[in-house]
Amino acid sequence: MLISTLFPESMTRMNRFNSTVPDDEYLADSNVLFYLSDAVTQLLEHKEEYTQFGMIRYFAEYFSSVKNSNHVLFREYNYIRATPHNRASFIRVFWRCYRQTGKSGELLSMLEYRSLLQLLCPDFPLDIVQSSARIVVMEDATDCLMSFSDFLYALQLQFYYQEFLDSVLLIYQDLLAGKSPNTVIVPTSTSIEQLPSVAAEENDKEEQQQDGVEPSSLAQCIEALCDRFKRSHPPRSCMREVLEQTNKVSYYSFVMSLAKHETINQTIGALPSKAELLIDPEMDQELDKLIAQISVSPGSNSSGSAIGGLKEVQRKASPRRNIHHRRKMEVESDGSTEETDSSEN
Amino acid sequence: MEPERTEGKTVRSQKPNDRWVFLTPMVNSCKLHLTTVKSLVPERSQRMTDSQDFVKEKNMNTTQSINLSIPGSGGYKYNAVPAFPFTRLPGDSFASKFQRIDLDRRHLEECPQLGIMDELQLLNLQHNRITMIQHLSHLQQLVFLNLYDNHISEMMGIECLSSLRILMLGKNRIRKICCVENLSKLNILDLHDNQICRIENMSHLSELRVLNLAGNNISRVENLQGLGCLIELNLRHNCISIVTEVDRLPCLQRFFLSCNNITSFDQLACLGESRSLSELTLDGNPVALETWYKQAVLRCVLHLRQLDMKRITDEDRRMAGVQARKEEEKKKESHKQTIHKEKRRLAIRNAAQQWEGVIACLELPPTNGAKEEVSPENSPAHSPAQTNGLAQEPSPDEPRRVSPGSGPERPSGGTESRLRTNSRPNSPRDPKLVEAGSGSVQSLSLSDSHLAELDGDTLRLFGLGALEALERGWGVQTAGAVTVITFRYINFDAIVPTLPRIRVKFPNLSHLIFLETNISRLPQLAALAQVRRLDQLTIHPGGNPVVSLALWRSFVIYRLHHFNLQRINGQEVTMNDVIAAERVFGTLGHIAATETPRCRLLLLLEESRKRQLQFLLEGRGRRAGLSPEELRDNGKLLGEGLSRALFNYPSRDCSAESPEEGTVESSERATMIEQYLQELVQRASDTNLKGEALHKLWPSMFAEMVRDCVLDMRDRAAFRQASLAKLSEPK
Repeated sequence: MLISTLFPESMTRMNRFNSTVPDDEYLADSNVLFYLSDAVTQLLEHKEEYTQFGMIRYFAEYFSSVKNSNHVLFREYNYIRATPHNRASFIRVFWRCYRQTGKSGELLSMLEYRSLLQLLCPDFPLDIVQSSARIVVMEDATDCLMSFSDFLYALQLQFYYQEFLDSVLLIYQDLLAGKSPNTVIVPTSTSIEQLPSVAAEENDKEEQQQDGVEPSSLAQCIEALCDRFKRSHPPRSCMREVLEQTNKVSYYSFVMSLAKHETINQTIGALPSKAELLIDPEMDQELDKLIAQISVSPGSNSSGSAIGGLKEVQRKASPRRNIHHRRKMEVESDGSTEETDSSEN
Repeated sequence: MEPERTEGKTVRSQKPNDRWVFLTPMVNSCKLHLTTVKSLVPERSQRMTDSQDFVKEKNMNTTQSINLSIPGSGGYKYNAVPAFPFTRLPGDSFASKFQRIDLDRRHLEECPQLGIMDELQLLNLQHNRITMIQHLSHLQQLVFLNLYDNHISEMMGIECLSSLRILMLGKNRIRKICCVENLSKLNILDLHDNQICRIENMSHLSELRVLNLAGNNISRVENLQGLGCLIELNLRHNCISIVTEVDRLPCLQRFFLSCNNITSFDQLACLGESRSLSELTLDGNPVALETWYKQAVLRCVLHLRQLDMKRITDEDRRMAGVQARKEEEKKKESHKQTIHKEKRRLAIRNAAQQWEGVIACLELPPTNGAKEEVSPENSPAHSPAQTNGLAQEPSPDEPRRVSPGSGPERPSGGTESRLRTNSRPNSPRDPKLVEAGSGSVQSLSLSDSHLAELDGDTLRLFGLGALEALERGWGVQTAGAVTVITFRYINFDAIVPTLPRIRVKFPNLSHLIFLETNISRLPQLAALAQVRRLDQLTIHPGGNPVVSLALWRSFVIYRLHHFNLQRINGQEVTMNDVIAAERVFGTLGHIAATETPRCRLLLLLEESRKRQLQFLLEGRGRRAGLSPEELRDNGKLLGEGLSRALFNYPSRDCSAESPEEGTVESSERATMIEQYLQELVQRASDTNLKGEALHKLWPSMFAEMVRDCVLDMRDRAAFRQASLAKLSEPK
């Protein structure tokens, strides 16, 4: 019974693999086992809640949320980074949740983005945010203000290809130092976390002296690296394209170009193109509804007259919103108070 | 004629009783003479000038006529004062004709040559213009020398008069006391109305009984040692502000300090040591204007019988006693208060110190595996950057801005000086919060490193230990009075667990203030939702990096929307703010509420809300289509939108997976799960294999089955019979 619940879900999700792929390979590629074990772990950890909730229902919901990419909400960092799908989902959720900050055009600091990320993932680490910020501002200035879209694309690249980029940074540093990059051993996952950040400062110093490395040699090394990383790297063609554009390349300019590369964005598939980044009419509608709710019932204990006054304020504040609001009200007709509101307008 | 005037008063006041009595006080020895003159014409005291003229005339002939009365009358009276040297004067001592010379008002400009009169005992040269004392050294018998009202500016020339008992030098121009070292028999020394600035060179006058230094420029009472017989000391009309060594005068009975500059009772302390003192004047001093002047003096000088010419009554003494007790109590109280104040200051300082230590540790590179959640900014490469970030904080004197490198040695001794300068880092900015140690403050809990105090409606907590004050038994009334709680030098994460209880304990709480509590990230602010009701929130930029984030205010407004907050950091929350906040975070909340898997919701929400959600899921949730919209609307019933409720701090999920308790269990569990899943996968893939095999075989199997059927039914009759037999055969 359990199997019948589990497998159709995963089968449908991964239906691009035809049935000729052997089981083991399929399981390894699709991370089904990871999700399965997480689901069971969660179940065991919160037995009480979930048995009450219903086991079948739990599994059904778990896998449908995985499919809908909202399984990463409020999960711990280790879960979020565990699979490419999770990473992409998280990026997408981040974009959807904070699109408004980009829309308002506000520039925020790195620490601010970290706090926003931590609202979604309480233990989201600082160094990813920091590396992403470094991609945007090309240096270590943490109090620099960044626009939402710049940061978002940088974060996408950094977070999705984290291990790959760490290795590229090491190779780049070796190239800068004049060492043969072939001696570079791909770091294990533990050393990844420490090394790049430690080396970052020296790197910056050197960067000022010599303006980067030969793109061709870097490209060679990256080719070799890609072979080792199998699929968790940006498309080779894109990287080649980026590297061919200049005759000297530094790590951050390289990564920056990658972050802005549309094809890579499409490959990851989490975010819309830059032009459409701030457009999400569905969510806008929801937000308008929320705001309307607030302005209708600003608080549990304010009197009617106060509400009117407050609404007046709101109207002055955002006339554009209101037009939008009215149009929406014509479509929907659920709340009677809201209707009187629109007729007032 | 200053002394005359003052003495005149005395004389007059005492006259009614006994016109001789004035001699007893011996206020001014210079008067000795004058008053004797007066005594001869007592009935016409107002005609003093006449009488003096009369004296003048008489003296022309070098007689003892008038002055003869001195021994007679003086001796007679002085008997009242036993052993006073004058008693020895009378009788035959003035028998010789030249034992006394009176040269009063002779316009003399220098001392007369008195070479032959070796026997001379009394020499009166007052009211002349003598500028130098000379030609006197051979008068070895001289007992009385009167140089009152001359122009003498130095005391030279009297060194050798070893028999001298009475020396009158009043109203001259003397600047310095000297040359009296050998006059060891001197009983009376009168130097009033001169220009003397210091009491000095007197220590050999061991028989001196009366010393008059009134009307000089003396500012200190000092160098009095050796004056073992001094009974009267007159220092009126000086500028004395410091009184010392009076306790070295064992016989002092009368001490006149009127018209000086004594401002505090402390100067009278040495008078208290003197057991003999019975008469004191202090009028004309600033200190005499104090309210409890008399009592205070009496307290200082217990044996006093007369103060400022008035007798001390028992009532006065009693009052003084009462006053003294009161004073004592007040002192004790104030002492206690100062001790308490000091303790308080220390406690706050130590709390600040410890706080700096904590912050410094936080900024240090962590030991491996330090929880990222506590201080994610710890990773070593980022420390400098972090300090950079802090530099833009609006508090340049922040103790936080300790360079991370200096962290390790901080707790050791070398930090003392820096800590001292930092001890009240913010006092200039918020003096009210730190310094307001007013009388109404009630200290609740005080140790060397924390302080909890209640000041009217404000509860102030300094240092981590102060949190325990929240746990103590609070009276309903006291707790009800608290509307403001201030936290300082306490890590916010330590405060968080107390927040739900704060609401229960202090029903009227409306304002929370956080100073130096290390709130650094937005999620932390969500913890404030546990307070459930709040009108005002103040998060001071000092020590709270979160305030430097542009979005913090919006987030507070959004997350605590159901509080209907009036003010944040003193700034009013307007509807525009609320809408702006909704605009920024509304999407987040919406997605969180509608898209989070419902099973996750169960874990993320707090207890009461969880129940409700569970109920909803139980009751109606069985039917599959419980829309997220519905869920959210139901969540709204609680007052706090479900969307907002999802942002908790500390996150419930993370706390559930606390590492230490979970490690063994979770690793066991992990292996168990792995095994289980492997089995499952095995079975699944087996089933899959079988299915696939079946799929492959099925066409041929089907063909076979069809063929068998066809073969069976080839002979229809036989088949029918066989089938019939099968049916009819009983089983």
